[in-house]
Amino acid sequence: MNLYQPFLMRVDEIIDETVDTRTLKLSFQDPKVAEKFEFKAGQFGEYSVFGAGECTFCIASAPTRKGYIECSFKLVGRVTKAMRDLNVGDTMGFRGPYGNSFPLEQMYGKSLVFIAGGIGLAPVRCVIWNALDLRDKFKDVTIIYGARSVGDLVYKRELEEWSKRADVKLWQTVDPGGETKDWKGQIGFVPTIVEKAAPAAKDCYAVICGPPVMIKFTMPVLEKLGFGKDQIYTTLENRMKCGIGKCGRCNCGPVYVCKDGPVFTAREIAALPNDF
Amino acid sequence: MSAKTLTQADLTSLVSDILAADKRVVAPSLVGIGPLEHIEYRPLHKAEDMVLDRGLPKRSIKEMFFPPTEVVFRWKQKKSDVAIDEIPTTFQQTVVIGALPCDAAAPGIVDRVMNWDYRDELWNGRREATTIVAMACDGGDKSCFCTAVGLGPESSKGADLLLTPVKAGYHVDVLTPKGEELVSKYSKRFGEAKSADEAKKYQEAARKKVEGNLSFDAPKMRAWLEGNFENEYWRTIALRCHGCGTCATMCPTCHCFDIVDENEGVLAGERRRNWDTCQTGKFTLHGSGHNPRHDQNARFRQRVTHKFAIYPGKFGEILCTGCGRCQRQCPGGMDLLEILGDIARMAGGAA
Repeated sequence: MNLYQPFLMRVDEIIDETVDTRTLKLSFQDPKVAEKFEFKAGQFGEYSVFGAGECTFCIASAPTRKGYIECSFKLVGRVTKAMRDLNVGDTMGFRGPYGNSFPLEQMYGKSLVFIAGGIGLAPVRCVIWNALDLRDKFKDVTIIYGARSVGDLVYKRELEEWSKRADVKLWQTVDPGGETKDWKGQIGFVPTIVEKAAPAAKDCYAVICGPPVMIKFTMPVLEKLGFGKDQIYTTLENRMKCGIGKCGRCNCGPVYVCKDGPVFTAREIAALPNDF
Repeated sequence: MSAKTLTQADLTSLVSDILAADKRVVAPSLVGIGPLEHIEYRPLHKAEDMVLDRGLPKRSIKEMFFPPTEVVFRWKQKKSDVAIDEIPTTFQQTVVIGALPCDAAAPGIVDRVMNWDYRDELWNGRREATTIVAMACDGGDKSCFCTAVGLGPESSKGADLLLTPVKAGYHVDVLTPKGEELVSKYSKRFGEAKSADEAKKYQEAARKKVEGNLSFDAPKMRAWLEGNFENEYWRTIALRCHGCGTCATMCPTCHCFDIVDENEGVLAGERRRNWDTCQTGKFTLHGSGHNPRHDQNARFRQRVTHKFAIYPGKFGEILCTGCGRCQRQCPGGMDLLEILGDIARMAGGAA
């Protein structure tokens, strides 16, 4: 089995998140692989549909939940189209887990604030569930999630669940104009809501993921709140093919995002050339 | 490290012997006719096809280890199930004869990335099955700059044997266990070494010829590249560049690739890896439409920076052997020697 050969996966469940975003729940067809497979929050994989090709997505499910992995994707091209054409019971390919991860152990005993925009919730969701499954290891958990409109919010059933938990502070927001009549969450862009939520920076780590423009405007807000560059973690989403540091595609200055990332601190990101 | 002598006739017989043993022999040979006639590294059918006196072949020996396109596995679908056919990672024993030093050195440099934590068996399998008999260069032409990147027309880096032309044929330096194995296996073809001095003179003359083309201080160049990502110099650098990627496909060390599926009907197909290059616009294009390298200047900067700063930083070697193919064959006239010369001047390391 060479490096580019995937594990065979079975599609167990299909969940429509929005009109163009879908989550697939996958399990390993080979029970021996299923038993051995482990990953850490933040790692990614190369998912493939045979005949259409490979695509890079994070593993959106939590490492604390064994026996399956989930991937959430938006319809944008050839592979994601083929992934949407799959039915329950069909076969997919998966190579992974690849890349580094969020240093969860380092965050034990601290508060966590998760900030996500749009489908950027997928990699963050993996850490959220990982942290919630080990809830007593962390102090406050705050989730700030925004999307363009109510219809664009992903993982709605989980947002519902988090909103009901007493040990999670959830802020949901949609961009102005994206609200519906019965919308009870916030209205405004994510950086504004972060300012409003004002999580305390002391003994706290921020995990932020979303469109570049959201990250760009949220960073100064976090800095104003007192977050140091080493307290903020994010992921880079460069285009990838091999996922294992060979094909050269995700190279950005001194790092290969697939091997040295995808998880970086704000300090590491600031040191990179503007090539991502 | 021992030395031997090989006459021209014995070299031809040696190639015939190796071919007769069912091994593949790759050597420079003539391809094309009329004005299109040129030299390429090709698997030989007979020893007489080998042409060792026409200089640098048009393409490098990279494709002997890393083919332009190769199958990584095949698949077949039956209802909802897929079965995968593995690709063997053992390859036909191959002897490359007459690889010039700039080509012989390249696979060893690329080994670093191909074995960075994950071992690429397809690359390694071919590497292990291949013996490289390099031939000292006569100093090439004005596009050559091997001495600037720490190699040279007599460099034995990556070679198992190094042949240097002398009056009696070739002086042979035996450099590695693989080389020794070849010499001992075909020992009747090799004679006692007696022209070491003559070989040295040939090598010195060749070095003198190429040395004047370009020289720079590699650490200073790297430091400049690392600190000048936003330098104005890059802003107009690639106005002549078509983004065709000829430089990368000709390059002995460029190793970027793409992974694609090719179907045979609906229920079967193969996944392939194909050469790719950072010089095309789609290389880094995200699904969202965002492209970090949105113009050719940024793409060309990446090529230069990756070779002379990023790869040395990560893997300790310059990702360039100075073969000059990128300059010689560029349809737009991009001149890496000129560009490296400019950077060396800005970096304060020009000699």
